[in-house]
Amino acid sequence: MELAAFRTALDQWLDEHGDALAPDRPQDTLDEHMAQLAKVKRLTFDAGFMRFGWSERVGGLGGSPLLRAYLGEALTTRDLVEPGIYSMTETLAPTMVDYAAPALAAEMVPRLLRGDETWCQGFSEPGTGSNLAALACRAVREDSGWRVTGQKVWTSLAQYAQRCVLLVRTGPVESAHGGITALFADMERPGITVRPIDTLHGGPEFCEVFFDDVVVPTGRLLGQEGQGWSVAMDLLPHERSTALWHKAAFLQRRLQDLLDTVAEEALDPVQVGETVQLLAAFRARSRATQHQLAAGERLGPETSVDKVLAAGAEQAVFDLVEAGLAVEVLLGDGSSASRWRSEYLFSRAATIYGGTSEIQRNIIARRLLDLGDDR
Amino acid sequence: MEGDELELFSRTLGAAAEAHSGAALDAALVELGWHEALADDPGAAVSVLFEHQGRVPCTSSALDDVVTQALGAGPHQDMAVVLPWLGRAEPPARRDGGHLVVEGLGTNRLLGAETALVVAQGPAGDVAAVVKTSELAARPVRGIDPALGLSAVSGAATALGPLSALHPGDWTEALSRGRLAAGHEMVGASTAMLELARRHALERVQFGRPIAAFQAVRHRLADTLVALESARALLDAAWHEESAGTAAMAKAACGGAARTASRHCQQVLAGTGFTTEHPLHRYIRRVLVLDELFGSARSLTAELGREVLARRRLPTPIPL
Ligand SMILES: Cc1cc2nc3c(=O)[nH]c(=O)nc-3n(C[C@H](O)[C@H](O)[C@H](O)COP(=O)(O)OP(=O)(O)OC[C@H]3O[C@@H](n4cnc5c(N)ncnc54)[C@H](O)[C@@H]3O)c2cc1C
Repeated sequence: MELAAFRTALDQWLDEHGDALAPDRPQDTLDEHMAQLAKVKRLTFDAGFMRFGWSERVGGLGGSPLLRAYLGEALTTRDLVEPGIYSMTETLAPTMVDYAAPALAAEMVPRLLRGDETWCQGFSEPGTGSNLAALACRAVREDSGWRVTGQKVWTSLAQYAQRCVLLVRTGPVESAHGGITALFADMERPGITVRPIDTLHGGPEFCEVFFDDVVVPTGRLLGQEGQGWSVAMDLLPHERSTALWHKAAFLQRRLQDLLDTVAEEALDPVQVGETVQLLAAFRARSRATQHQLAAGERLGPETSVDKVLAAGAEQAVFDLVEAGLAVEVLLGDGSSASRWRSEYLFSRAATIYGGTSEIQRNIIARRLLDLGDDR
Repeated sequence: MEGDELELFSRTLGAAAEAHSGAALDAALVELGWHEALADDPGAAVSVLFEHQGRVPCTSSALDDVVTQALGAGPHQDMAVVLPWLGRAEPPARRDGGHLVVEGLGTNRLLGAETALVVAQGPAGDVAAVVKTSELAARPVRGIDPALGLSAVSGAATALGPLSALHPGDWTEALSRGRLAAGHEMVGASTAMLELARRHALERVQFGRPIAAFQAVRHRLADTLVALESARALLDAAWHEESAGTAAMAKAACGGAARTASRHCQQVLAGTGFTTEHPLHRYIRRVLVLDELFGSARSLTAELGREVLARRRLPTPIPL
């Protein structure tokens, strides 16, 4: 299906099914957001919309990835899903399509798309944030698979997840990038302990995950043993493409919400102009990236530019929120105030998660500007 | 224009921009089919030519063609146009009885041409008229960038032939095209600055290593690239869905990116870049003037903010 036809059909379907799609309960907690996300995914999957833009090999209906970009935009613009938790689908499913054994991808991806399952991304560890290549969570090879022992941290949504795209060390520690393997682990295995961590913005967005001699079967290998680094390097651009287009739609909506409610004189016109411009530039850049993806181009380090722009736009929008609605953000206790506060505080992490802004600049310097080694 | 055709056009114009400047470049452009390209595919023609002009840097009077073409009055190589005075966005003249009272700027074409197109604000809307340049006082300005070849134009002139009434929005359309042209020229100049700084960073050794190894240097250059890429993205969006609002945002983003590029590249090039023996200064001068032309990043941004607050409505977002 073409984008224009998809847009028309989806918009019409969303208009007709507005009541069924709308949240049944107030959206004050992460549990409620997760339940709403699962409901919307199931309804859009069953109606077919969630399957467009995904390959037939994984239960999709084919078509351009632009259709996925528009679906997330439409759902976010109508405030039906929270784009942060929705982004896991766009980040993790492409990796499964590209790197899992075909039968495994065909079995698992539809569960994620339909909202039957939640997946998480186990990359960061207590000793390894930016320096991902130094990760230490060990996997020892045996006949039927691997035994995993170690710890992950800041793993978003791990407490809800049935599966985890997990990076482990299978080579010696000195092997750095070369000794990393990517696995697709079941979270309900014996030996896994998940401890949710409370966050600044309210609610346990992420967790500590402990692995104590956990068995991961052979068939759960993503790519080849020892090639986990390339799996991760191909995953990260997905975290910075379609998911960011959805983020742009979210920022557009919340900035308009702010304009609808803020008191006269509460905002500085220059700050407003700057923010609107940053958001438009981020959106224009992300649009170009969506079209590259649709043209079949392989995304790489240039998506670091998208991530820097996204983080800048998100923080600018919520700086404006904090300036314009200071009393609500700082002292309010109602549902709307709590939401503004939570979103404001979460925006502070935009320069941290998915690779910090410093790391993005390092990538830009080395890979896009070809400035050589930094030592 | 696409693919091979676009590449050939770009290569040809690039070579002309490197070989000539001013009136000589104007003549070369006529030969190379710039007027036809501008009529057929303004987006491709304007972006290619003005990015080359910024990159070299050189100058021409092609901006006159962009404005006259957008007003439906050209392009003609003998027809100059009066541009708004620095920092201004409104038409450069007003009607006063039978006269047009002009205060604006001209490119190098204005000094040689016999006639110029003038847009004037009047009680019943904007009008366009052709006037004799001999009726106007045109004084070459040197200022911070003498190589740009601008002149200050003023005086009261009578229209040759009837005044033609413009539709509301016509001037804004011409202004938007001018803004995009200036934006592309700033992007070209900023790209050149970044490349100069990048090469210097790799070659200049301090403390036993190339200064490109220092993160403070790397991050300045990375920030320059990010600013440039966001300006480019807005320029593309502005051609894709032409609207006055997007063109103004693109111009502001280009001005902002050019100032970022100037600041960071000057710092990285340090003493070397502070001499007039090094080419950096030419770009720094050029983008300062271009940022102000048709409204600076600062003023466009403030105006956008005031409009958004007054209407309580964001501009229509760029569609997928
Ligand atoms: C809300 C949220 C959700 C997250 N979700 C997940 C998830 O689902 N899965 C997952 O695996 N991880 C997740 N993370 C973790 C995230 O990826 C890391 O926090 C991030 O990569 C930074 O690592 P760190 O916190 O250890 O900081 P560090 O790497 O210790 O960095 C600390 C500071 O030093 C700077 N720094 C470090 N190295 C360099 C360098 N070479 N050059 C310049 N500056 C440098 C950093 O930019 C930063 O400012 C999440 C984090 C947050 C905040």
